[in-house]
Amino acid sequence: MLNLLRKDFIALKSSLWTIILYLAVFSFTFIPNAEMSIYFVGIYTAFGAIILTTMIDIKNHNHQFLITLPINRKQIVQAKYITAILYTILAVVASYGIHWLAKLAFPQLDKPDYSLWVILISIGIVLVLIAVYMPLFYTLSKKGAGIINAIFLIALIVLAQPAAKLIQIINEQDVVSTQTWLLVPAGVLLLFIASYFLTISLFTRKDL
Amino acid sequence: MNAIEIRNLTKAYPLFKVEDVSLDVKQGFITGLIGPNGVGKSTLIKMMLGIVRPDAGSVKILGCEMPKHEVDIKQRVGIVSDDCFYYEHLTIRDTMKMISPFYKNWDNKRFHRYLDQFELSPKKKVQDLSKGMKIKLSLALGLSHEAELLIMDEPTSGLDPIFRREMLDLLTDVMQDERNTIIFSTHITTDLDRIADYITFINRGKLVFHEAKEEVFEKYVIVKGDRQLLDQDIRSKFIGIRETPVGFEGLLGDKEEAEQLFGRYAVLEQPSLEDIMYFTAKGGAVHA
Repeated sequence: MLNLLRKDFIALKSSLWTIILYLAVFSFTFIPNAEMSIYFVGIYTAFGAIILTTMIDIKNHNHQFLITLPINRKQIVQAKYITAILYTILAVVASYGIHWLAKLAFPQLDKPDYSLWVILISIGIVLVLIAVYMPLFYTLSKKGAGIINAIFLIALIVLAQPAAKLIQIINEQDVVSTQTWLLVPAGVLLLFIASYFLTISLFTRKDL
Repeated sequence: MNAIEIRNLTKAYPLFKVEDVSLDVKQGFITGLIGPNGVGKSTLIKMMLGIVRPDAGSVKILGCEMPKHEVDIKQRVGIVSDDCFYYEHLTIRDTMKMISPFYKNWDNKRFHRYLDQFELSPKKKVQDLSKGMKIKLSLALGLSHEAELLIMDEPTSGLDPIFRREMLDLLTDVMQDERNTIIFSTHITTDLDRIADYITFINRGKLVFHEAKEEVFEKYVIVKGDRQLLDQDIRSKFIGIRETPVGFEGLLGDKEEAEQLFGRYAVLEQPSLEDIMYFTAKGGAVHA
């Protein structure tokens, strides 16, 4: 498993600056203009990084190479889910850190105080995205994966404002019961676990 | 003992099928997998390696079942392919750094010795390598973890004649260790004339034969003669026949029968593997 994570790091070594660029571009775009910028910066950067780490494996049909190494397909999927979780945590925490710094450095931006819930909600949203994206990515061919990436990016842009509004309403009006607050994380976790097993099952049967 | 045991392996695609292939690849020998382009050689190799999932049948490699024990199996197998699926943007050094930790018996010194021998700079990016150089890299990687079984898919197709010969010598060196086995798919049959012990011939997704090379040469015969020697019955005995206005040339699968049929009226010659492949693939009569 560690070897696969190491493999991802070596493969992405020269592209890691792209993730920092995502973070910078999204921060400059959203922090001054969007009230819910902390979610946008974290979620967009995390998902951009995840797309980068999945696409690197199919650029040159590299799955065919990976499968010749002493590993099995389950381990390939497992490593990718772990990488995705790591990128999610890093991006969301980075967004939190940047907003904390922005609040200190630019009080005129009038950014609110962010609680740790912001981190958890952002991570939850990215986990849902990963849960939908991964089975599609590992089932489709290189061309199909490209289309899925484009669809996800468009969906993220289109759905960003409505989702932000929803989160805002939930925060302000306290319309969600404590029971729901417990059920939602459990549901997200279940969806993520189900997606993991589904992806393994689909990828194991796929001809590379 | 068999290094590879394939039983009733089948894979169907919309326009092509590998059908019910059973095969034993003997340990300690070089087996050449021959056949024209697109007849299923690569599909068969991909099924052995778990890249393509068979519809039916089973594969055992080095006594272990695929894909159940694929991790252990692949520790002991080296793979060389003309399709270079490494990460193109990485240098050879980074590719080695990526691959080496996966193998328990990785030998760094040996890998660098091969790089020197093949004149490959570790600083060079994979995307900047020619097809021949990529095969050399694949060979260096495949030979650097003490693999007992080398599976090679069209390894000589992009190589110049000088390195092709060097590679064949290298493979002969690998075979100095009697435990080692090589299976080598190619449509350049002259390579196998030189080094193979067994020949497996695949045509249109089916196994035509799997025999010791010497037996193949003893069994098949090329007959050349005047067209007057041919009638419908005799034509039907040929595996493949090529007729010209002045004569014919055909492949028979039974040397004794050829001698009985034609005696001294025709010329009987030992075929090359290419002759066997050509006439079997063409089948029936070809008019030139």
